[in-house]
Amino acid sequence: MLAGIRILDLTHEAGFLAGKILADLGADVVKVEPPGGDLEGRRGPYLGGVSDPERSLLWLALNTSKRGITLALDSERGRAIYRSLVRASDVVLETEPPGALAKLGLDYASQREGHPGLIHCALTPFGSDGPFASYRAHDLVAVAMGGNAALTGDRDRPPVRCSMPTAYYHAGPEAALGIAMALFARARDGEGRFVDVSLRETQLSTLMAGPGQHAHTPRVQRRSGSRLGRTREIWKARDGDVSFGLRGGQARIPNLKATVAYMAESGMAPDWLVAYDWASYNHNTLSDDEIARLEAAFGAFFATKTRRELYGQALERRIMLAPCNDAREILDQAQLRARSLFTTIDYPELGCSIEHPDFFAKSNHHRIGIRSRAPRIGEHNAEVFAEVGLSADDLAALSAAGVV
Amino acid sequence: MTADAGIFAGIKILELGAGAAGPVATRYFADQGATVIRVESSKRPDFLRMVHLTPDNPHGLDGSPMFVLMNPNKQSIAINLSLPEGIALVKRLVGWADVVSENFSPKAMAKWGLDYASLSADHDGLIMVSSCLFGQTGPQRMYPGFGGQGAALAGFNHLTGWADRDAVGPYGTITDSLSPRYVALLIAAALLHRDRSGEGQYLDVSQIETAVYSLSEMIVRYSANGEVVSRRGNSCDDAIPHGIYPCRGDDRWIAIAVMSDAEWRRLVDEIADPELADADRFGELTQRLAQRDEIDRRLGAWTRRFDAHELMVRLQAAGVEAGAVLSSDDLLADPQLAARGHFEVLRHALLGELRFEHCGIRIAEAPARLRTPGPNLGEHTHSILRDQLGMTEAEINSLAESGVLV
Repeated sequence: MLAGIRILDLTHEAGFLAGKILADLGADVVKVEPPGGDLEGRRGPYLGGVSDPERSLLWLALNTSKRGITLALDSERGRAIYRSLVRASDVVLETEPPGALAKLGLDYASQREGHPGLIHCALTPFGSDGPFASYRAHDLVAVAMGGNAALTGDRDRPPVRCSMPTAYYHAGPEAALGIAMALFARARDGEGRFVDVSLRETQLSTLMAGPGQHAHTPRVQRRSGSRLGRTREIWKARDGDVSFGLRGGQARIPNLKATVAYMAESGMAPDWLVAYDWASYNHNTLSDDEIARLEAAFGAFFATKTRRELYGQALERRIMLAPCNDAREILDQAQLRARSLFTTIDYPELGCSIEHPDFFAKSNHHRIGIRSRAPRIGEHNAEVFAEVGLSADDLAALSAAGVV
Repeated sequence: MTADAGIFAGIKILELGAGAAGPVATRYFADQGATVIRVESSKRPDFLRMVHLTPDNPHGLDGSPMFVLMNPNKQSIAINLSLPEGIALVKRLVGWADVVSENFSPKAMAKWGLDYASLSADHDGLIMVSSCLFGQTGPQRMYPGFGGQGAALAGFNHLTGWADRDAVGPYGTITDSLSPRYVALLIAAALLHRDRSGEGQYLDVSQIETAVYSLSEMIVRYSANGEVVSRRGNSCDDAIPHGIYPCRGDDRWIAIAVMSDAEWRRLVDEIADPELADADRFGELTQRLAQRDEIDRRLGAWTRRFDAHELMVRLQAAGVEAGAVLSSDDLLADPQLAARGHFEVLRHALLGELRFEHCGIRIAEAPARLRTPGPNLGEHTHSILRDQLGMTEAEINSLAESGVLV
């Protein structure tokens, strides 16, 4: 869908996903690494546990469909080549601290001279201006300062984050969207724009307007473990966890009734539960004792069933219950398999094949998804540098000088 | 076009559906000048309108701060979709629209004859995006899940919590905040493509698939190495300290992430604990990883003497990555968010002043504009029928009398 758009991707880990999304949408995304490779971004775990930047699973996962070059931006010659690449590109995407590229003479204003349509997207922890602009934040600090951590975890332990970087996962499509907005605007007036994306600000959206709601109707919110507000959300099945909301509301009532019917068929619904008035059920106004009584009945039932049994019946009976899957179980999901979500990529030089999630949407007009594996270090140096007029001899000399 | 009008001025989006995932996606466009019309009905209200049907809310479906805060700049038309005249009216609005965005279950749109094949037959260039939990195809597509099930099925619940305890799940429903960013990106990219080619398209988004795609690293680690990534509190393999530590006060905390040996030395200079300063014991990452418990204990004993915000400012100034764990009250008073204008006040006729959030994207030449709070149900029914569809008063009255406009 974005064929013909060229993007220079200078990002560290926080921005890998943004570039991948645009590349999987068809843009020509050129990943720029320092000579020898981006050793931080090519971190472990490694394929087979063998420490080697070419075997970094993070790198292989989040740089698909990109081309890869190496270039020393800390050398004058490297910067000159970089400038010619920028002139041949539509977008620069980067995650440097604010001001870092300016110190190299590679700030947006100077790059845009003679190239008014250039778009520059900076994904930074807190945005490019303001009193915290120079503050550092990887995922953990972004989640803490974005408001999500305070509400996640057990009451008797510190706040906790998801063990995979969800702040990066929100910022990836947000930055890609910012770029698409700027491309749309440029198509109208020819002008490029600076797209300033903040990791932390993006993270606030996980609160679903929580701060604004709190400002209007103040309420004390605390971490509540596997509960959501007053009621349990994660339950023990016989062989692991399932998600099931004991919450009311018109959209949820049929599923609560269906669950009780399922329990009754299994002989595990007490009479009072079979007769329960769900139409007027409101989990916000029940007494603690009443909630405890309901939870004991549902919990006792779930504990007798496997997750597979429960989910099978949930699908059949339209009960809003689902297993808390891990990676292995996700790869096994019949629904995802039926939609061919996973694709196998061969890595002949590593002697292996790896399954990747292929796409984030299906279009009736375009293929969205992985077009090529993540690049090896400097894999596309020859072809990309040739596109800006460098010969094989030039390249050999630059390589000897440590520029590429 | 003036810069003030917004990047998507002139773009017309018709929205059907409820909850968070769909409306968050279209809001980006509404804030950038697009006209976004929500088709709603009091017969089957958006559940975001219903979460606040409590005794202290005298305004009913129009008194939900959550709905109002998440749907600014949009218009609402009330249409009864159980009547054929209602469906016919939606089809006329599709004729008006550039983009249709919906997040009903797959059955609903087809039942109404509002599937893409029918709608695009005489509407060249129509862009339509459907975003439900599972997507439009596959054996489980009809499953009526909410975001809670999405987070479970996609792995986020399993991944969140402590290794020695039950899963807790991240606060909120991660799929509801993640998937709309992909939906919005797809709409923007499809509009760009239509500009270049004249072609519309149909986009089928599964909220779970956007999450699993985002978690590519987790899938690849299992596929390549057989590693099942599981919850592990706040720890990680590449950094120590990497955790959340107590501060002075009730339930106050600070996150500290030391990503390099140099940063560790800067932290140790601040702590002035001679034990931790022992470079022979703690100077290198591998040494620190082996003594995680002792480091966490000593660091926590130090951090609890300080105010979280003051300690964050001090550590960041010293070149150590640290951030106070912020509550809603803290976020509303946060100096960085204030300097960036992240919250903006708009007055709602029933609820008074409300603090709306902006998204994470700033484009100086085209700032997102907040013009109106989320609409009352059917607030714009009359003006939409008159101005967008060119209906006469008599036609509108006739529809109203037939019960179509509720």
